[in-house]
Amino acid sequence: MQTASNETQGTASGGRALVVDAVTHRYGSSTAVENINLDIRAGELVALLGPSGCGKTTLLRIIAGFIRQTEGRIILGDEVVDDLGPNRRRIGIVFQNYALFPHLSIAENVAYGPAAQGIGKAEREAETKRLLELVKLGHLADRLPRQLSGGQQQRVALARALAIKPRILLLDEPFAALDKNLRLDMQIEIKRLQRLSGITTVMVTHDQEEALSMADRVAVLSQGRLEQFAAPTQIYDRPDSLFVNTFVGTANQLSGQVLASDGDMATIRLDAGAELRARSPGGVLASGQRCTVCLRPEHLEMTDDPAGFAAVVEMGLPLGATVVHEVRGADGAGIKVSEPRRAGTALRATGTPVRVRPLSPDLATAYPA
Amino acid sequence: MRRDWEAFSFHLAIGVIAVLALILLVAPTAIVLIVSFTSGFSLRFPPPGYSLRWYVALWDAWQLHFAAMNSLKVAAWATFLSVVLGTLAGLGISRSSRLSAKLMDGLFMSPLILPALAFGLSSLMFFSALGLPVSPLTLIIGHTVVCVPYVVRNTVAALSQLDPTLLECSASLGAGKVYTFRRITLPLIRPGILAGGFIAFMSSFDNVPVSLFLRDAATDMLPIRMWQDLEGKLDVTIAALSGVLIVFTIALIMVMERFTGLSRRLA
Ligand SMILES: Nc1ncnc2c1ncn2[C@@H]1O[C@H](COP(=O)(O)OP(=O)(O)OP(=O)(O)O)[C@@H](O)[C@H]1O
Ligand SMILES: [Mg+2]
Repeated sequence: MQTASNETQGTASGGRALVVDAVTHRYGSSTAVENINLDIRAGELVALLGPSGCGKTTLLRIIAGFIRQTEGRIILGDEVVDDLGPNRRRIGIVFQNYALFPHLSIAENVAYGPAAQGIGKAEREAETKRLLELVKLGHLADRLPRQLSGGQQQRVALARALAIKPRILLLDEPFAALDKNLRLDMQIEIKRLQRLSGITTVMVTHDQEEALSMADRVAVLSQGRLEQFAAPTQIYDRPDSLFVNTFVGTANQLSGQVLASDGDMATIRLDAGAELRARSPGGVLASGQRCTVCLRPEHLEMTDDPAGFAAVVEMGLPLGATVVHEVRGADGAGIKVSEPRRAGTALRATGTPVRVRPLSPDLATAYPA
Repeated sequence: MRRDWEAFSFHLAIGVIAVLALILLVAPTAIVLIVSFTSGFSLRFPPPGYSLRWYVALWDAWQLHFAAMNSLKVAAWATFLSVVLGTLAGLGISRSSRLSAKLMDGLFMSPLILPALAFGLSSLMFFSALGLPVSPLTLIIGHTVVCVPYVVRNTVAALSQLDPTLLECSASLGAGKVYTFRRITLPLIRPGILAGGFIAFMSSFDNVPVSLFLRDAATDMLPIRMWQDLEGKLDVTIAALSGVLIVFTIALIMVMERFTGLSRRLA
């Protein structure tokens, strides 16, 4: 499904569509975005994920050309576009509030880009018709934007952005204004259209589920810095930093001390007792150093194995397909353990002593404390 | 019970005040309209009988026609210049957040606050210092200065309601600045500009103080003519003329309301 159709002229399939090269942006003296490097392949859907204020919108606006970065370059295809204004970059944008032109009909909105570029009336109308069919709004061509629902408005905004045959598509918080059911529909719809047209897409979101479910790769930002840029499974299973590990999904944080460090694995003595092997991204841990070990609830199991660390069950919560036990370690740390629930098995009673261990060593990750 | 009574007396008080205000606003207009249909020779209210004679007299009052034409011409020119200059000024002021823009804003607004008589006198002195005799031109310039604030104010207000992402969106779709202005900015602020132009027209049409100083002897202006006629002989024709003006204004307001939502803009 990575074939580029006529939508993505100028970006060879599989080649680079967009490079963000060492981009830094400062508003006055405060740094909003710092030394970001992204290399985005043609046809990819990339999500920029991060908490509020981390610089997602700033980065998107730099790519679009609305603000000029303080340092670094933006490269579209093979072309450095830093000196091109937003109207000459041929980038399609769907704004968070859709920004449909209120005085123009749906068809006129979609035809706006081609009209601005001086494309003839007949060709413009045919293209508008095709795009409105594509987003299933052909029957509403003559309405005004305010006569449409939120989801319909978003589809118009998408069709309008696609009408300029953009080199890439940018989406700013595309689903934030939609209610929950509609959001899922639109996520599927946009993913479908993106696959169908093969257009390279960058999407801003602060919703990790949305990022993980829709994107081919996720760029996690924190305080203007790029924490990790990788496939969703990689982000989830092999996070590079404590921030990514705790921001994406949930993680138990246990403190301990490094006993030995060999390359990107380390042996750690937990304060809760027990030793374990853990991944050490970048191999930055030195022996003797204090560290934080992150373990996802579903990467833990309760066993009789004496190698696990001792804990006492505090509470069990059956959550349909899984059961989550809250246990307390010897050092007083609360830990969540999530296991598949088999029908008929009873919850472990409060006060039951158990041993807890990771399912496999590379699912534990240690970071400098 | 007690609460009901309080609510009732509150609403009663508000109602009474509202009715009084309405009477104060509407009654004079109504009285002029009624008197203009008098069959007598005086402005006495209530009239002794009714007829259309003063409207017939108005038909033949060439001096008033002449003055009305002058006033209309000056108001049309002043409105045209105010709309062009005021819109440009409004665009400049609202695009910039610099101190100079704020100062300019204040400057454009000052004719609204300065006593118009003082402005009339000072511009008369200014024009004569320049060696320009009073003429229809000086009159139009003077009217434009006092009318331009209405257009500036309405344009700035309309622009501040314009969502800046619409302009960014237009740019991202490949539109240059001029194209964006023509297809997005202008259509969206046009009702505001028209509302400003309408008020400018009305305020030029019944402006007395500036006209007093800046017209030449040959350029008779309607409000001044009306005052002089009333002063001399309490002429009932003026009441008929007032009736015509009132009807004319109401019709114009209704047209503007239809196209620009005038009342919302003035609120
Ligand atoms: N025009 C501006 N002037 C000064 N500082 C700004 C400006 N816009 C953003 N910032 C600052 O830059 C940082 C990044 O802002 P940005 O809007 O990119 O965050 P974001 O990741 O989009 O957040 P959110 O999820 O809340 O939209 C923030 O600290 C913000 O306060
Ligand atoms: Mg944002």
